[in-house]
Amino acid sequence: MLDHILSILIFFPALAGIFGLGVAKDSMRAYGTAVAFIEFALSLFLWFSFDPTVSGMQFMEELPLVPAFGINYILGVDGISLFIVVLAAFFTFIGIASLSDTKNIKNLIITLLFLQMTMVGVFLALDAIVFYLFWELSLVPMLYIIGAWGGPKRIYASVKFFLYTFTGSLVMLVGILFMAYFYYQATGVWSFAILDWYRLILPAEDLLTGDIWHMGNYQMWLFLAFFMGFAIKVPMFPFHTWLPYAHGQAPTIGSVILAAILLKMGTYALIRFLLPLFPDASVMFMFPIAILAIIMIIYTAMVAYAQEDVKQVVAYSSVSHMGVIVLGTFALNVEGISGSIFLMIGHGVVSGALFLLVGVIYDRRDTKMMKDFGGLAHVMPRYATIFGIMMMASVGLPLTINFVGEFLSLLGFYQQSHILTIFAGTAIIVGAIYMLSAYKKMFFGELTNEKNKNLPDLNKRELFALVPLVVVAIWLGIYPKPLLTPISNSVESVVQLMHDKATTDEAKRRIPSIAQEIIITKTSTKEMH
Amino acid sequence: MLEPINISLESLNLTTLSPMIIPVIGALLILIIDIIKGGLDKTLYVMITILVLLLNIGAIVESVGVFTSDGTIMGVFDLVMVDGIAIIAQLIIVVVSLLFVPLALSHKRFHEFSYPEFFAIFLFMISGFEFMVTTDNLILIFVSLETASLALYTLIAMHNRDKSFEAAVKYFTLGALAAGFFSFGSMVFYALTGSIEINQISEVLAGNGYADIGFVLVGTAFLLAALGFKLSLVPFHAWAPDVYEGSSAAMAGYMSIVPRIAMFVVAMRMFEFLIHSGVVWLEVVLYIIIVLTMTIANIWALVQTDVKRMLAYSSISHTGFVMSAILIGTTQSNSALFIYWILFSFTNLGAFSMLWISRQKHLHKDQSSDHSFNKFSGMIQTSPTAAVIMALFMLSLAGLPPFAVFWGKIYMISSAVTGGYTVLAFIMALNSAIAGYYYLKLIVYMFMKEPEINKDGTAFVSNATLPLKTIIGFAVVGTIFSFIIVNPILEFVTALVYKSGY
Repeated sequence: MLDHILSILIFFPALAGIFGLGVAKDSMRAYGTAVAFIEFALSLFLWFSFDPTVSGMQFMEELPLVPAFGINYILGVDGISLFIVVLAAFFTFIGIASLSDTKNIKNLIITLLFLQMTMVGVFLALDAIVFYLFWELSLVPMLYIIGAWGGPKRIYASVKFFLYTFTGSLVMLVGILFMAYFYYQATGVWSFAILDWYRLILPAEDLLTGDIWHMGNYQMWLFLAFFMGFAIKVPMFPFHTWLPYAHGQAPTIGSVILAAILLKMGTYALIRFLLPLFPDASVMFMFPIAILAIIMIIYTAMVAYAQEDVKQVVAYSSVSHMGVIVLGTFALNVEGISGSIFLMIGHGVVSGALFLLVGVIYDRRDTKMMKDFGGLAHVMPRYATIFGIMMMASVGLPLTINFVGEFLSLLGFYQQSHILTIFAGTAIIVGAIYMLSAYKKMFFGELTNEKNKNLPDLNKRELFALVPLVVVAIWLGIYPKPLLTPISNSVESVVQLMHDKATTDEAKRRIPSIAQEIIITKTSTKEMH
Repeated sequence: MLEPINISLESLNLTTLSPMIIPVIGALLILIIDIIKGGLDKTLYVMITILVLLLNIGAIVESVGVFTSDGTIMGVFDLVMVDGIAIIAQLIIVVVSLLFVPLALSHKRFHEFSYPEFFAIFLFMISGFEFMVTTDNLILIFVSLETASLALYTLIAMHNRDKSFEAAVKYFTLGALAAGFFSFGSMVFYALTGSIEINQISEVLAGNGYADIGFVLVGTAFLLAALGFKLSLVPFHAWAPDVYEGSSAAMAGYMSIVPRIAMFVVAMRMFEFLIHSGVVWLEVVLYIIIVLTMTIANIWALVQTDVKRMLAYSSISHTGFVMSAILIGTTQSNSALFIYWILFSFTNLGAFSMLWISRQKHLHKDQSSDHSFNKFSGMIQTSPTAAVIMALFMLSLAGLPPFAVFWGKIYMISSAVTGGYTVLAFIMALNSAIAGYYYLKLIVYMFMKEPEINKDGTAFVSNATLPLKTIIGFAVVGTIFSFIIVNPILEFVTALVYKSGY
């Protein structure tokens, strides 16, 4: 079973989705929960069979798909992808278990299971085309979830979501095809395997002038093409405008999955593709992207402060924190990248939980406007407590999960630029204002609104979904080591690979060597000599 | 006294004609049956047509074997030239025709299928298209093009609606104009080189170093216009949506695939040497036409209110996409052309068949046309299977992986990348993004809106029968599991194209 556990993880939900067609409507939620639980158990099994001391790929699978064109179905997992896969399985489970929507529930759960297939597929694929396949396919279930179960402007929001990401990824597709062509030129074989591409060094400097900002710098162009696809997904400022719309209109389950997992595809792809494939270009664009990331942190925090809809506050705060992840990634050292991966997990847990919490109050009152609330702590003490903990985790209070990630990300970037890091750090602290003010508006003060007088507190199902998230958020904040060790093991090999591949002195200097031998697991694609 | 001409029958290589002769014999057989005993049911003619086409495939497969061992075969005074691209094109033509014929067995009775002549003309048309791809003689191309086109006009008109007469007349008029252009262009080349065979023309022109470049340009311009009309490239495309609208959905699906692949082959034979001989003008004009065709057709498709017209514009856009293979002109791009078209034909025929099974005899009062978008609203609630299948075809046409058209698309864009057409590759990618919007529009109607016109959902399958469902099932399997068949198709097509020297 271990030989094919990754394929099982990918295709089990889809298969279960097909069989779900035969389940009666009333029992559908139980079926979905059971399937998602099995998937979660499988992902935990993967975690326990995972060898944390190995930095390379594990459980690799390979199957020819279009061998004549170098497309193979290659899967593998390392410390970078492992925990995101577990997170995806965990959140689909929590999401389905806490579903309160009953309209068309059968279609919704089948769609969620298909969505899970595509999400897990993205994180496990090691062939660019297979990666692209799952990446694009993930748009369709999300389009349907937002478009069919969303708010009044759902169709606009869903189509905007689809077209934005679709456009970005088509530009990335051209980049992928170019990369494969360069590989073909260098070796004489077509290959889309990422591990093969890792061994390809693209020169960045102009041979005559030694300049790196020149038209013939293919690293730069490819970097931009790939970045276009990933940046829209993250979403980087200024490509972020689709996200608040999507969140605003999506049903709770859609927002939870979108914030907790789908956005992580972009940041994960930055680490999997962009950094190791184009180390010189990564250094070239390090500061422009860092500045964009800091603008993103500050600007979206300010926008979040101005919102009246609590879901929009959470949505913008989620974008703001994605900025920290990008910043950590572009620190280009082990602390920064490990921190950003850890923050991806933390951000997933925290923002997923916050969207669930917003969903709880929306179920009860059919409104998300903060002015309709106030003094909720009196009637819903448990709700207020959990919301409070999660909010503290969101602003990065020490001993909560986000603190570890944010701290490491900033620590990493501090080695590249002190000033920018101080800016970002201040921004994160100031960012806490909007969260605290939203919390104050909703939970403290007098209970003025008559309709809120008799609101029931969290019920069993909601507690069942939320308590594990609280536990995870605090446990990993206090003791992050079980995750951090395998993550930094794999990150070390990425950073070392970047250092070895870098062709410019600037890049060699910016990307520190770990001074250890790295082994890229070779795929069985024939090497040409 | 004149010397008797002695020609040995072997030197004529009459077997090269067999793929084209088989449908002619089949057509005559159908006519004879009708004379002997009239009033027979259409099922008889459908089955005969299917058998004839199966024999035809057999004959083509035979020539695959001969080609792979002996190379290009010339026959019948060098009029017929069986090379790799001819064989692939014949296979596409016949297989798609084979998939089209069962669509005649619809639940509702339609005028045209009650006549045996429909099937006879259909077979004559196939023979015409097959001749067209199996020669490099301009006169034979012209004659077979007209045979096939006249047959096609008739088939459209036989649908017996006001709109279909309009469509047939429109198509005929512009087709006649295109025929005039074609013959004039051929005449110019004959005057320049004294030959009507494309490879001899290219040799003579290369021999004298394109001395009369002015005349070459005039001839090329006329041929390009003729091909432009037939392929409905922008700006020669205006007839296409009306003709599609006037034809039955099944016929429209057929028209979007078969005539075009035949024209692609002619274009490939004709423009390949012209582009690579340094006729820069042609390269520039073709580049512009391709970009316009992709983009403008896409933009028009955005604003359509009828699904069939939308698909008509989308197929024009796909044509522009595929035409870029001829501009790029490498072995990879020419293979990509065929691969794209094979994978596209599964999906497109499937999409049009889905329209065909939802064909009603009478329109609802809120419905502006046969297949207006609002007819499909809320389809997921009333007939979920049909909605999912239709969405599948739309996603495939939009180029979403892992469905059929995606593989053609990446191979095509990759060939642009390797051929050095970077900007074109990006234009292709961006056009795919625009196209995503109108395919999505139908999905939005089907999945996200409430039922509006067909509240009980019966209309979506009102025209369905087992044969139609089988064809659709075939298209669905081909679309979803395309990742399995891509590799064998890729290897087969590339080998044949490479061996033919394109």
